[in-house]
Amino acid sequence: MERAQAALALPLRKTRTLPLPVGPARLWRLCRHAAGALWSQKGKAFLMMVGTAVGIMLLTAVVGLSEGVEKRIQGIMATFGPRSVVVFAGGGRIEGPRSGSSSTLKPEDAAAVRARFADRAVVAAGLFRPGVNVKWGDQSVQTTVVAADPNYPQAFDWYPSSGDPLDVDDERSFGRVCLLGATVARNLFGDTDPVGQRILLNRVQFRVKGVLSPKGTSAMGFDMDDRIWIPLSTGMRRVFHVDSLSFLRLQVREGYEVSGVVEELTDLLRTRHHIVPPEEDDFRVRTPDFIAQRIRSMSRTTQTVGAALAAVALLVGGVVLMNILLLSVSERVPEIGLKRALGARQTDIFAEFLAESVLVSLFGMILGVLLGLLPVWLVPAFFPTIPMSVTWKTFAFAVVFSSLVGAVFGVQPARRAARLDPVAALR
Amino acid sequence: MAMIELKGITKVYATQGVETPVLHGIDLTVEEGEFVALMGPSGTGKSTLMNLLGLLDRPTSGTYRLHGQDLTELSDAALSVIRNRRIGFVFQLFHLLHRVSVLQNVLLPLLYTDPYPPDARERALALLQRVGLGDRVHFKPNALSGGQQQRVAIARALLNEPALLLADEPTGNLDSAASAEILALFDDLHREGRTIVMVTHEPDVAAHASRVVTLKDGRIFKDEGRR
Repeated sequence: MERAQAALALPLRKTRTLPLPVGPARLWRLCRHAAGALWSQKGKAFLMMVGTAVGIMLLTAVVGLSEGVEKRIQGIMATFGPRSVVVFAGGGRIEGPRSGSSSTLKPEDAAAVRARFADRAVVAAGLFRPGVNVKWGDQSVQTTVVAADPNYPQAFDWYPSSGDPLDVDDERSFGRVCLLGATVARNLFGDTDPVGQRILLNRVQFRVKGVLSPKGTSAMGFDMDDRIWIPLSTGMRRVFHVDSLSFLRLQVREGYEVSGVVEELTDLLRTRHHIVPPEEDDFRVRTPDFIAQRIRSMSRTTQTVGAALAAVALLVGGVVLMNILLLSVSERVPEIGLKRALGARQTDIFAEFLAESVLVSLFGMILGVLLGLLPVWLVPAFFPTIPMSVTWKTFAFAVVFSSLVGAVFGVQPARRAARLDPVAALR
Repeated sequence: MAMIELKGITKVYATQGVETPVLHGIDLTVEEGEFVALMGPSGTGKSTLMNLLGLLDRPTSGTYRLHGQDLTELSDAALSVIRNRRIGFVFQLFHLLHRVSVLQNVLLPLLYTDPYPPDARERALALLQRVGLGDRVHFKPNALSGGQQQRVAIARALLNEPALLLADEPTGNLDSAASAEILALFDDLHREGRTIVMVTHEPDVAAHASRVVTLKDGRIFKDEGRR
């Protein structure tokens, strides 16, 4: 050990060697040799990789969360359409239960909006009631009823796959006709063709006019096909006996800015409802962009904290790695001297120790990714509202950051090893 | 042409401002096929001279020609190639890697040999056979006696067919039986025509050499048996 210290303490020898690159064949041999050296001191190698493993584990979880969020946002965009704007009745700043009255959106508002935006958007108004009992013969299910005006299919880009759509005549005549979502059709009718059948909806008899094409599960986990459409007039007057709407839906036409429409729409409704800021709006205007931003900002804190922890773990792990490798260098001084005698250039010794550092980091990465995949798989299983997802980015980040740790923190030990005086090292 | 030609070699160690001259102008020529013993009391610069011959160190002044090539100005990379291809080392402390097998130890120089010889394994096995360890190739060095370990080291030194074999007190850590075996091996190598330079301070070891160069106070004091 004293000898080793003496060798380390020697002044750096000046040589005219440039750090020549190591040829691929030799590099491969050196890497295999380095792997063998790590294998022969597994305990030390494990300590060297722990920090990297923890850091990469956190990184995997953070990237998994961010990928999950993006995936969910893409789902929302796909479900709502990127050019849609929805106005919900009732105030409230963010998501969650609305505050105040929810009967603030009137048919007159819908008419005014329709008049103002006729050239720029398709406007549909509607009523939304979950948990409505529906019967066919002795079959009965609970489902969501959407009472919507004839513009709704166009605004939603959603049409029947069999039968006919609800039309202006149905709206005008308070028609007792409905369209079934695919789930309702299956639950209520099984293999029977529902078109033309009669069902009871809140004890009002309806004729099934058509079945909607399936939309699947929404990004938030709702079954989009578990619903029934009826004409808006019928819903307000004959079924639910209300004079207010739940929502307005605008599908902004190509060539017009969604954000401009949102601004003007908000102003229009404020004026109509006599709301002067800072008074709180009694309605909420939502776009997929808005929802996407909300979701992003909700996960941002978690991601920032996670990323910071990952960075700290990688840094601490890197410092630990460096120190253990420095210790390893001083323990292996005679070995280094021998290798120099056998024909190792300084560059070779440097490459060998750097390879040990990078390899141990990469092993740490594998361990970290495996550990990190656990939360990525388990968290969404237990908390379905937290999206997590694995993509190539997870592995790309892991590889880049772990090899960076290995490369950066391996330089100092590798340099010390390369610059050992072979004579002193062999003594 | 002489294999080794040293002219006016001096070596001064400078540590913390204090200059310690170790070699004062060594002129030495070694011909191909000679077995030279370097003798002298400890501290006379035998090992320093050995390190210079092995290109592990650079002289303070003077020239070193190997096969007529001046090595004084070569880079670390160039010197490393020469160490790898043309010089074989045998050390007093064997310097084997204990984490790998005997065979891997013999193959170690090839880590730094480009291109990697395709018959490396056969060569290593043949050398181990030759030094009498053909049945120990997969042992770890720890499982071998000192004499056997030194024979592994000799096989390693011979792997790249070096022109020059440098041995620094190769029997210094061995009992007399093992020493005799090792010296017999060196005798064989000498008979084959290999060039050997061996540092020793034991006259009966030096007796195996064809020529004995004695150093004293950093100078060549006696040179006996020169061809």
